Amino acid sequence: MSEYPSRIKTRKYFITAVLLFVVQMLIGIVMSVDVLSRDRSTTPLPFDILKALHLNLMVLWLLLGFVGGLYYLLPVETGRDIKHPKLIDIQFWLLLLIGIGIIISEIFFTGRNWWLVEGREYVEAGRLWDILLTAGLLTVVYNVIATMLESRNKLSSPILVLAAGTVGSVLMYVPGEIWFDNIVAAEYFRWWVVHYWVEASFELIAAGVIALILLAMTDARREIIEKYLAIEVALILLTGIIGQGHHYYWIGTPDSWLFLGGLFSALEPVPLFLMVWSAYKDLKENHKPILNIVVLYMIAGATLGNFMGAGIWGFIHTLPQINFYTHGTQITSSHAHFATPGTYLLLVLGISYLAIPDLTGRMNFSQYRGKIGFWLLVIGFLNIIFALLIAGVIQVYQQRVEGLSFMSVQNTLLPYFEWRLIGGLIAFAGGLLIAYDLILISITKVGSKMNK
Amino acid sequence: MNNIRLIMIGLLVPALLMIPFSIMSFYTDFANRNPDPSLVTVDFNQKTYNAIEGKKEFEQYQCMGCHTIVGNGAYFAPDLTTVYRRMKENDALLANFMMSGAPAKGMPPMKERSMNIDDAYRITAFLKYTNMLDTNGWPGEGSWDRDGDPDSVSPEKQNVSDIWQVVLGIIFINSLVFSIIFAFERRNNEQEEGS
Repeated sequence: MSEYPSRIKTRKYFITAVLLFVVQMLIGIVMSVDVLSRDRSTTPLPFDILKALHLNLMVLWLLLGFVGGLYYLLPVETGRDIKHPKLIDIQFWLLLLIGIGIIISEIFFTGRNWWLVEGREYVEAGRLWDILLTAGLLTVVYNVIATMLESRNKLSSPILVLAAGTVGSVLMYVPGEIWFDNIVAAEYFRWWVVHYWVEASFELIAAGVIALILLAMTDARREIIEKYLAIEVALILLTGIIGQGHHYYWIGTPDSWLFLGGLFSALEPVPLFLMVWSAYKDLKENHKPILNIVVLYMIAGATLGNFMGAGIWGFIHTLPQINFYTHGTQITSSHAHFATPGTYLLLVLGISYLAIPDLTGRMNFSQYRGKIGFWLLVIGFLNIIFALLIAGVIQVYQQRVEGLSFMSVQNTLLPYFEWRLIGGLIAFAGGLLIAYDLILISITKVGSKMNK
Repeated sequence: MNNIRLIMIGLLVPALLMIPFSIMSFYTDFANRNPDPSLVTVDFNQKTYNAIEGKKEFEQYQCMGCHTIVGNGAYFAPDLTTVYRRMKENDALLANFMMSGAPAKGMPPMKERSMNIDDAYRITAFLKYTNMLDTNGWPGEGSWDRDGDPDSVSPEKQNVSDIWQVVLGIIFINSLVFSIIFAFERRNNEQEEGS
């Protein structure tokens, strides 16, 4: 601990990430009320602004969680402190400033200024915020690489994968920001941001973090974990990069993408299954007592959520013959609400539960709240997922096969949206409990119990 | 094989393949016959607006926050790819509909969101252009292609007799989830006691 003084600076990253997640869930609940009432007077903001905030807050807290996690894990692996500790603080405040800027411009400038609000799904943040965000993340990349170049240990593959994922997520933010006159090209490159984040860069970060946490918590052999990691990562990239094609079926690109996208994205569950299997094997053969059960829950949940949400739920509508009907329906929504929280939320919470007790020296924290919070999240999100999945199947049948109009189908789906709201409230309770628990663990005076 | 070398192969082979695939997607000999957005125009009040201006306004007013375009966006409101066809290819009808919205169904009058009539015509030009895209047949014969008059369906009140399906669903899914949780926790506790 004391040999890496900069680590304590990462605590605010995790706390902010979890708090932003709670805000994101609150916005999601308001949105689901809006879907039920379709009445502007019941919600404080219009649906499109809520939706933009729902997505952009997620992007922000994911980045905060991953950058914080990288700064937390890097010193142990490299055997030295972060090269520029001051940058850790500056980057945090910059990211937070960008986040506040995005929220303010969404609320007050939507439709008024293209530099402040761009209004494209996932990259709603205006051009100004894009440039600032890229610049801020480039300094993160610089700091990470500078630290790794002066590493005292030989760099292991998990930390290289983690760093490659971070660099990749910065690089892949850029193509989506280029202006194209043509909607086909604009959508083509917008998906580079979204797809190459969630199915390449973030997936690398996930694989790296899971491997590092397993290395720290279990007695599984390092070579085996690293070998599995390499195979997983190679397969993720091999299937994921061309698997991009499943976004290019109906946006005006050639029909050769139907074949390429269908073939490669059908293979995408394979590495995700490998992740589950290797984690299961490591945990089963483990003899080291695991003290921090909450981290274990989160990591096991993340691997399973990744396989089920991204792998299975993605596979059910990835083939072009099926996607022709399911594209742009609630099926996609169900998939997104499984894959993102199932993988990245649990991962960020896992790193937080690993880091915060370690940083504050409260290793003997009560794990009761964390476990209950985890299960509340699982119950809540599974309710959301199944409500949306059934709603999606009904929508596909009524609207895309029978040809009923959009609004009459939405009326049929109302009971399922009510079910989704119930799930959202349960998950929100879990999120609140976890945020409360993490804040409680983190407010212990730094260093007070460390050397006992 | 060396781990890093394996990862590099996994990265470089598909990344290099993406270059010809991307070129193929836009090189005119292979690409779909999509119109040039600068040539798709709409006239209003002796002014001409093209689809490029329209695309910028479409982004700025965050239409994708509720609607979808080529199926991407939010699922709160209908897809807009072929809305120009559904509006009988009538520029004035579409632009005026945008301005007045459909408050009963959740669409705000866009003039309250600071949209002026010129912007509405710019977006009309953009939607005229998306209607001409070659999207490999999507959305086909689904309702997005033949939704008809935008005011044809009014929002109905929910039918209470439909609720039972959802109640059954909630009971079924949650009993499944809870049985998994209890089985898992029980096994964990037994292991802890055993060890």
